[in-house]
Formats: sequence, structure tokens, C-alpha cells
Amino acid sequence: MSAVLEIGEVSVEAGEIVALLGGNGAGKTTLLETVLGFHSGRVMLFGRDASALTVEQRVQAGVGYVPEGRRVFAGLTVRENLEASSSLPARQRRQRVEEMLALFPMLGERPEARAWLLSGGQQQMLALARAMMDRPRLLLLDEPTLGLAPVVVVDLLRRLGAMTADGTAILLAEQRAALALSIARRGVVLSRGQVVRRGSAAELAADPMLADLMAGA
Amino acid sequence: MAYALVALGFVLALNASGAVNFAHGDLVVLGGAVAVFVGLATGLPAVLLLPLVALAIGVVGILAARIAILPLASRPPEATFVATIALAAIIEQSLTIAMAGAPRTAPPIAGSGSFEIAGLVLGRQPLAIVVLGAVLVAAVWFLLERTQTGRRMRAVAADRHMARAVGIPVGRYVILSLALAGALAGVAGFLLGHQFLVAPTQGAGHMLKAYIAVALGGWGSVPGALLGALGIGIFETFVAARFGDAWASAALYICVLAVLVLRPQGLFGEPVGRRA
Repeated sequence: MSAVLEIGEVSVEAGEIVALLGGNGAGKTTLLETVLGFHSGRVMLFGRDASALTVEQRVQAGVGYVPEGRRVFAGLTVRENLEASSSLPARQRRQRVEEMLALFPMLGERPEARAWLLSGGQQQMLALARAMMDRPRLLLLDEPTLGLAPVVVVDLLRRLGAMTADGTAILLAEQRAALALSIARRGVVLSRGQVVRRGSAAELAADPMLADLMAGA
Repeated sequence: MAYALVALGFVLALNASGAVNFAHGDLVVLGGAVAVFVGLATGLPAVLLLPLVALAIGVVGILAARIAILPLASRPPEATFVATIALAAIIEQSLTIAMAGAPRTAPPIAGSGSFEIAGLVLGRQPLAIVVLGAVLVAAVWFLLERTQTGRRMRAVAADRHMARAVGIPVGRYVILSLALAGALAGVAGFLLGHQFLVAPTQGAGHMLKAYIAVALGGWGSVPGALLGALGIGIFETFVAARFGDAWASAALYICVLAVLVLRPQGLFGEPVGRRA
């Protein structure tokens, strides 16, 4: 296994999901945005120091991002959201859009719908499909299950699990520890910007102190 | 139709930069002035002069982005307001000096005079303005709706932070939008400069009309801005013909107030709660 991401005490290897756990204000979003380049900090991406790279360069290097709250481009259609988020040449881009529409049937049913007309679950799938357009090697997901119906959460987690089969690495920031640990291989608990616990998903899930640690106690 | 071009450029700049470009009206005047001076100096026909004016004011739009908008992108919007107001004042005062305060006439696009079709007398210049305006609006629509460049410009307008996060080079698209806004302002200035003369102090008036068109149509809505501008033009024309110019202006502002009270998001704006 090779590390695709190393930032401070957090690392993610190819083909694995690492759960980034913590309550509100723990620093999960800041850490993800630092990986993406919105904040300064030492970041190793795909075995190289990426600290000096711009956000655009990190995305081109293979980082995909699904932000908290989905933040799809509201006035653009589903198809336009996917196309606008890709740097592939035109023919490959259009082909990739069709692949995404086939992979996410709830998007495939409404490719010409404006994004603001979609349900929360559909918007989340669109945000995920958008991040996958250029086949990222590392996906950063910030609270992807927030506000979703249970059936959509199950579908989403199943898809994330399947994504790692081709070597895609996922750093999954979640407040809902049990959900994240159910598909993760390892987990890291953050509190006030510091790593306070780490371990395998099974160890963390069985840790009686987990809830207290996530609450910052 | 010329007001539609002004409003279209205004809303493109607004969406790209996230702040009002108060120099936009003065870019319109500058377009008229460049048409006057370059036309006089070179004697070029309007068909060649027009792209030159569009190019020149497009470059000024890029300079505006580089000097007064992009460097202030991380500051509160008020910083851009003040910077673009300063830019507007610089353009206005420079034109006042260059034109010695005297209004000038830009050359006509399609010659003077009129012709008759089925008993209807049509002026060459007004018809040229309508046709050229319609062609340019259609071209911008095609760019925004049917090309990857346009999709990315709209993505940047919708959410600049997220556009960066998916790898869109936001600064490049802001500059492109400002260049396009400038080119449209330049063309509008050329077209209006023959109908209504070119005077250095007209910028604020153009700016106000564009602002009203965008507020009426829906803040940030491109089709809304176009319809708002066309509505203003038609409304003013008919009310002025019946009651005079003063009543036309007063009635326009009363209608604007009424629309904004009854529908604050404008006629075609999205209610905030529906935004993703």
C-alpha cells in the first residue's frame, strides 16, 4: 500500500476509506480544505510534497471534493454541473457524463433538471458524481450523509465502498461515527484541531470513550 | 436594444466578480468616445470600427478586473465598490479633458436615412441597433448555454469557492467575463453614441439603467437583465411619447419601487430558499 495523502498525523492509502471523526468545530472541514489547498499547510499528495500547489493543480493531480452542504451549481442543469466540473477533452467529457448518469440512476432520470430543483439526496449524488468526473485518486467528503433520508444514506455508503475497488482513496469526514466506521478501514478522531485518537475502524467502533472524545470531553 | 447590451455586460461583470462594477456605465461612454475619436482619425467604416471599439473596451474591462476587482476579491464587496467608483471617476474626468466637455456624435452603423416596408417607415440606424443587438445577445446566449467556457463562467458566477474546488481557474474566467462585459459596453456606447451623442457625464445614467434592469429582472439573472432592459426601453418610449420625458422617468422609478416591494428577488430571480 502507498500513501496517497499525508497531512500531519493523518494519512490515507490507495483503495482505503479513512473516517475523519469529530464534533462541530473539531477541524474536519479545515483539514479537508487544507488538503485541497484553500489553507496553507504541509501536505503530501501521491508521494510528493503538494504544499506549494494551487487548488486547481491539486484537483488536476487527482483530488476530488464533496463539500458539506453539497454546494451544487444551482442554476446549472445536472448535465451542466458535471460538464463544468471536468477538465477532460470534449469527447471524453461527454462520454464521462453519460457514465455518471448511468452510475447514478436518480441523476440519469433528470439530466436536464436545474440543480436547485433536485431533492437533497439527488443533490448529494450530483455533488459526488461531479467530484468523480475526472477520475480522482483521492476523494475528500465532508459530512456527505448530513440531512439525507436513511435509504439514501445506505445507497451513498454502498457507493463509497464500491469506489475503493479501483484504488480510489477516500477521506470521509463525519459526525456520525457509527456510519463512517461501518465502511472505513481506519479512523481518526479530531478535537479542537488535534488528533486525539486513531485506530482501526473496529477498534474505534468498540471504544467506549469515542462519544466523549468526539464531543471534545 | 442597446440598453439590453449595457445590462447584459453589467450582469456578466456582476456575476463574475460578485460585486457591482460602478465603472460599467463609463465603459459605455468610453466606447462611444473611442468610436468618435478613432472614426475621425482613421475614417474607418463602421463595420470595421465596431470590432475595434469592442476590442479596445474589452481590454479596458480586463484592466478593470486586474486593477480594481481581482486584487480586492478577498476583501468585503465595499472595497470593489469604492475601487470601481474611482475607476469611473478616472474615466469620466479623462473624457472630460479629451472632449473639452463638448458632446460628440459617433458615426452611424448603417448610414442615416430611412426606408419603407409595407407602409412602415424604418430608420436605418435604429434598425441596425436592433439587428446588431439581437445578434450579439444571441451570440452571448450561445456562449453561456452551449459551450464549456460558458458553463464554467456560469459555475464561477454561481459559487466561486466551489468552482475553485472542482478545478476551474476562477481568475481566468473572471477576467474573461469582464472582457466580454467591456466589449458589450463598448458596442452599446458606439450604438447609443449616434442616437444620443457622447458626453463624458453620461456614465452614471447608463449605470443606473443597467442597475434597475438587473434589479427588476432578478439580481444575477442574465435573461432577467435582458428583459428588464427591454422593458425599461419600451416603458420609457411609450410613457414619454404620451406624457413627456419627466413623467416617463418618474413613472419608471415608481414601477421599480412597486416591483421590488412586491417581489424583492425581481421578476425572474430565484427565491433564496430555493437555491441549492
